[in-house]
Amino acid sequence: MPQAAERKALQKGLQKLNENMVTLAELSELAIRKAVDALSRLDGEAAKEVFMLDQEVYGLQLEIEHNCVDLLALHAPVARDLRTITTSLKITTDLDRIGRYAKDIGEVTVQSRADGPGADPEIARIREMADLTIRMVDTAIDAFVQRNAESVRNIVEVDDAVDRMHDENFGEIVRRMSEGKLKIDLGARYILVNRYLERIADHAVNIGMRVVYMVTGEWLPRVRAAERAEGSPN
Amino acid sequence: MAAKVRTEGLSAWYGPKKAIEDITLDFEEHAVSAIIGPSGCGKSTLIRCLNRMHETIPKTRVEGKVVLGGEDIYALPAVTVRRRIGMVFQKANPFPTMSIYENVVAGLRLNGERNRDKLDAAVLESLKQAALWDEVKDSLDKSGASLSGGQQQRLCIARALAVRPEVLLMDEPCSALDPIATAKIEDLIFDLRKDYTLVIVTHNMQQAARVADTTAFMYLGHLIEVNRTRDLFEKPRETLTESYITGRFG
Repeated sequence: MPQAAERKALQKGLQKLNENMVTLAELSELAIRKAVDALSRLDGEAAKEVFMLDQEVYGLQLEIEHNCVDLLALHAPVARDLRTITTSLKITTDLDRIGRYAKDIGEVTVQSRADGPGADPEIARIREMADLTIRMVDTAIDAFVQRNAESVRNIVEVDDAVDRMHDENFGEIVRRMSEGKLKIDLGARYILVNRYLERIADHAVNIGMRVVYMVTGEWLPRVRAAERAEGSPN
Repeated sequence: MAAKVRTEGLSAWYGPKKAIEDITLDFEEHAVSAIIGPSGCGKSTLIRCLNRMHETIPKTRVEGKVVLGGEDIYALPAVTVRRRIGMVFQKANPFPTMSIYENVVAGLRLNGERNRDKLDAAVLESLKQAALWDEVKDSLDKSGASLSGGQQQRLCIARALAVRPEVLLMDEPCSALDPIATAKIEDLIFDLRKDYTLVIVTHNMQQAARVADTTAFMYLGHLIEVNRTRDLFEKPRETLTESYITGRFG
């Protein structure tokens, strides 16, 4: 059993870890919101702010990793303390990846802006998908902050909806490109953004599943979308 | 895995004071079982009931059963039980006037073994099993008390192994040892599980986590939780266990 002073130091370390995780999550979510907003308005200046946010996310991720290694090395944590630290270590990677995809969307915005303003219908569809993706990220992060496993138990089903939107958008973009209604380079960029958003949703699922483990110690099984559809009562 | 030792509704008293209450617990064969818990929780009392050491203290009594390989040990002679279930204590206790050799064979001699070849073979095998042979093979006639603390503890383990017990009980075997000696004993515990059933009482939770296959948590004489060690330290079932192992107690 840890001594009182040791316990106090661990508590302090865990508190700092939690504060940093909340900040990291907020930064990642802000980055993706800003990136999608910048793309909708083809606002290059807003896109550049996303690049700075991505740098912040990366720096904070490294700091959190160091915090976690220190806590593991110095306090040999167990049970929920151990699960909180290992979950944080894994989630930081997901949040960092979300920040990276936000930056990538920002780059697409800057490049598209060079092509001149456009009001493609793809933007509206991507916006719709982005809203759902951001909601997933928000749910997963909120579950982490609130230590609430129940709110993320069905996050994979929301991800299935995002996957369907991804497939539909992809088909639509390709169709319009092949009909000559959408420039190839612009269409290719939309395909990339479409893919980035789908991946962000996957990272939200990862975060959600790890939150369930952190709170309950239970590993949710990974079930492929096709298997879920087969098992569904409908 | 099969249980080598099983307690059934085991309770034990010191005079009027009940130290453990209604403990039913399996100790798996060829595995290491750890018992953890705060001071006074009854873990040492429990382990001492497993080879009838508890009754050596005046005004104590035991209720319930301890079953060893299907036999109730309280229906067997105490000496037979202690030969089949050996014990190593917190403080190494080699016989100070005996040589290393004589320490190892002390139990065998008590059992009437006089054949020198058999005694020599037991010394070689037991000291090797206790990972002490290489360090003492050229000084078997030296006093057991001349060894370091860690070596003395391994000598006591060799002495316990020499009578070929089926189960080895260890009550805080490393609490008086430095980290290097502790690591040697832990390595030894890891190796011994191939041939023996081991039960270790420890205050050191990390030690339990390192060496044990299953861990039992006791509190105020009650068995609160027994679980695979990995699960007990990663996702304990009981809030009381979690509070204890994370230091959030009281």
